Amino acid sequence: MRTLIAEDDFASRKFMLKFLSKYGECDPTVDGMEAVDAYLMGLEADMPYDLVCLDIMMPKLDGYQALKAIRDIEDERNIPENKRAKIIMTTALNEGANVNRAFDLGCVAYAGKPIDQAKFENVLRKLELI
Amino acid sequence: MADDMITEGMLDMFIFETEQGLETLENVGLDSRDAGEFDDDHVNEIFRIMHTIKGASAVMMYQNIATLAHKLEDVFYFIRESKPENIPHAELLDYIFEVSDFINGELEKIKEGSDPDGVADELIANLDTYLKKIQGSAGGGSAKKEEAPPAHAPEEDKPHFYIAPVASEDSHFYSIYITYSPDTDMANIKAYIAVNALKGIAEDILFTPSDIISNPDSASVVLEFGFKIALQTTETADVIMDLINTSSGIDQVEVNECTSDEFLKFCAEAEAGNHPGSSAGEVLLGPIEQPTVRTDAKPKEIPLTEEEEKVSVARKAEKEEEQEKKKLAPKKKKPAKKAETQSFISVNIQKMDLLMDLIGELVIAQSVVLQNPDLKVPGLDLSNFQKAAVQLTKISSELQDAIMAMRMMPLKNTFQKMNRIVYDTSKKLGKDIELEVIGEDTEVDKNIIEHVSDPLMHLIRNSVDHGIESNEKRQEIGKHEKGKIVLAAKNEGGQVWISVSDNGKGLKRDEILEKAKKNGLLGNRSERDLTDKEVFNFITLPGFSTKKQVTEYSGRGVGMDVVVKNIQEVGGVLEIESEEGKGSTMTMKIPLTLAIIDGMIFSVAGTNFVSATNAVSEFIRVDEDQLVIEPDGEEYVMIREICYPLVRLNRFYHMSNSKENLSDGIVIILNHEDRKIAVFADELVGEQEIVVKPIPSYIKKVKGISGCTQLGDGSISLILDIGDLIGK
Repeated sequence: MRTLIAEDDFASRKFMLKFLSKYGECDPTVDGMEAVDAYLMGLEADMPYDLVCLDIMMPKLDGYQALKAIRDIEDERNIPENKRAKIIMTTALNEGANVNRAFDLGCVAYAGKPIDQAKFENVLRKLELI
Repeated sequence: MADDMITEGMLDMFIFETEQGLETLENVGLDSRDAGEFDDDHVNEIFRIMHTIKGASAVMMYQNIATLAHKLEDVFYFIRESKPENIPHAELLDYIFEVSDFINGELEKIKEGSDPDGVADELIANLDTYLKKIQGSAGGGSAKKEEAPPAHAPEEDKPHFYIAPVASEDSHFYSIYITYSPDTDMANIKAYIAVNALKGIAEDILFTPSDIISNPDSASVVLEFGFKIALQTTETADVIMDLINTSSGIDQVEVNECTSDEFLKFCAEAEAGNHPGSSAGEVLLGPIEQPTVRTDAKPKEIPLTEEEEKVSVARKAEKEEEQEKKKLAPKKKKPAKKAETQSFISVNIQKMDLLMDLIGELVIAQSVVLQNPDLKVPGLDLSNFQKAAVQLTKISSELQDAIMAMRMMPLKNTFQKMNRIVYDTSKKLGKDIELEVIGEDTEVDKNIIEHVSDPLMHLIRNSVDHGIESNEKRQEIGKHEKGKIVLAAKNEGGQVWISVSDNGKGLKRDEILEKAKKNGLLGNRSERDLTDKEVFNFITLPGFSTKKQVTEYSGRGVGMDVVVKNIQEVGGVLEIESEEGKGSTMTMKIPLTLAIIDGMIFSVAGTNFVSATNAVSEFIRVDEDQLVIEPDGEEYVMIREICYPLVRLNRFYHMSNSKENLSDGIVIILNHEDRKIAVFADELVGEQEIVVKPIPSYIKKVKGISGCTQLGDGSISLILDIGDLIGK
């Protein structure tokens, strides 16, 4: 599993990196813009990411924008449903409105911080990523 | 109650929606009980509810709930699609209730912050068997229908998952605004030090201007426009204050807590202002019109509040939009609901109680003003004052009515719960009982509802268990009609009456009397003196049960006294009527208002006593020759050929310096339920609205006194508990 992590906070980024590295290669990015760039690079190199973890509050491009950008790129390139990256939002904004907004934009899971590792892995299993 | 434990939006929403769904589910189930089958609407409704619960719990990753809901959904999917005939309805109904109970139990666990870890395997297996059974019976004729595998109920969209944060989330969002004294050097570095100090506690931090390190010019921006920080942290505002104050040159710091939405908005705006090329301070530029007054701290608050206002307006719009979106989805099926929900707001009950208390205080203060001794100067012209006073009194009494009305809730929900209880208990006991509900729209104070629901449950169980005979017994004694319990509520002269009647065997006067005699409850009264009501009232005494066998539901004799205690707590009484062989009726009579009543004030030896005005039937001057003294010292007065027991308050409370001669004072006839008592006092003082306050806990329970109140002149008056006086 190739994972892309977008997280501006150093500690959280480090945590996600350590947590997810055991399942495969993990690339860290520090904001939404860099995440979208990295995602594009992955596509170009024909090594698309299977999982993208997006923080919501990030500089330059926030999580929602990055999520939408990635889905737009996939739409534009006609990438079939099952080949698309699974996107999980990782954020402390847990209000219903935020969660629903993210679901509407096309993420598969929404993980509240601090992240519950067991449940997170559970979801990865359900998504057949691990 | 669970509010302080759950700070998480998603969870709240899930619990609320699921509870609502389950409530509807139970109601639909009970509705259909008599029909013996589900009609199409019911089936669709249940299917929809289970589908929603399944979806929501899957998102929240409550696997056990989701699986169970899915199973029941399967069953109803099959019923909906294949319309099988002759499905065992009662069995299905039981499963529905079991499912509902299970999910409710799990919800409680979630509310308490633990994991829903119940195992529903058995129930699921039962449902599976049931599904196979109805499939089998329906499948005979139409083999192709069986093909439609119910396990593949329409899955409408891709699954979503919501991973709840580990601990109960208690981080706060703050917007911080720092201004520096105008002569501060390198304000940008100072600002950065503040940010750095906060980083230790921050879960997330954003600030503007954001280029304080890379751009030396930002120092002047910070000086001119102030420095704004958005911070998410678990720490309190005080801690933040302390951390910021470690750096020097700070003129003023403002820390405001905000919601996550505001926070997000603020972050987005801070971002927008920091696009390359634009000045760092642009975010703040808009609202600020006069750069000349920058040095003063005060005007700087204005731009902030203005901006915050803007933010909150924008946020509102956004929220509304989102709500609109949210509503669209479920609206398809239930368009009527929308208007209903929008016109209600929910208010914390504590706030209502506070408001109630304040109004009580207001009523006291009002009487202090209106009856102020300063007004009693002879020759003072008070006509304008009196006019204003009338107006004030009118408004304050309307205010009382309004708050009372606000606290009123229909008994509907409570009564619906009883429906379920009758169903469960009668089923267990194998009795055929129907419940009729009358007046479920009667509104009573929220506080009363809380106190009434337990006793009511008890009375209903009693009726089902002891009141109504078993089916065979009924046949035997020739009672042909079905066992029936009537649950009725109505408003009756400032009281609400809630009654439970059954057409069962009724109470046996003789048996109760015998038992009462054995327990020495009769005292010195003879059997004949006791009215039926008094005899039946014995069953409300602790430990009194004539039932020889204890059943699962009732019969331990701890029931009725608890019922009565609960009712008394809200100032009510329980009345029991019964006819042997025909059934019994238990009526709870509870005053509608608890806190403010009309009171009649009279004094004895300078002490004021109050009694509720509607309990006073008359005042009368009595001559000595109307007094009858029994050999044991008990006194009675004869008034128009009727004999009333007399209580002299002065002797009762051992007060001296009061009138001893009956003809000098006044006798007040007070009634309680249907008994009357004559009370002897020195003089009448007047009538007034009084605010009932409990007797402070450091005073031991005083016989005959139920509370106290403050009068207009500031003095304390004791409220008479007439029932207690009669029973002395």
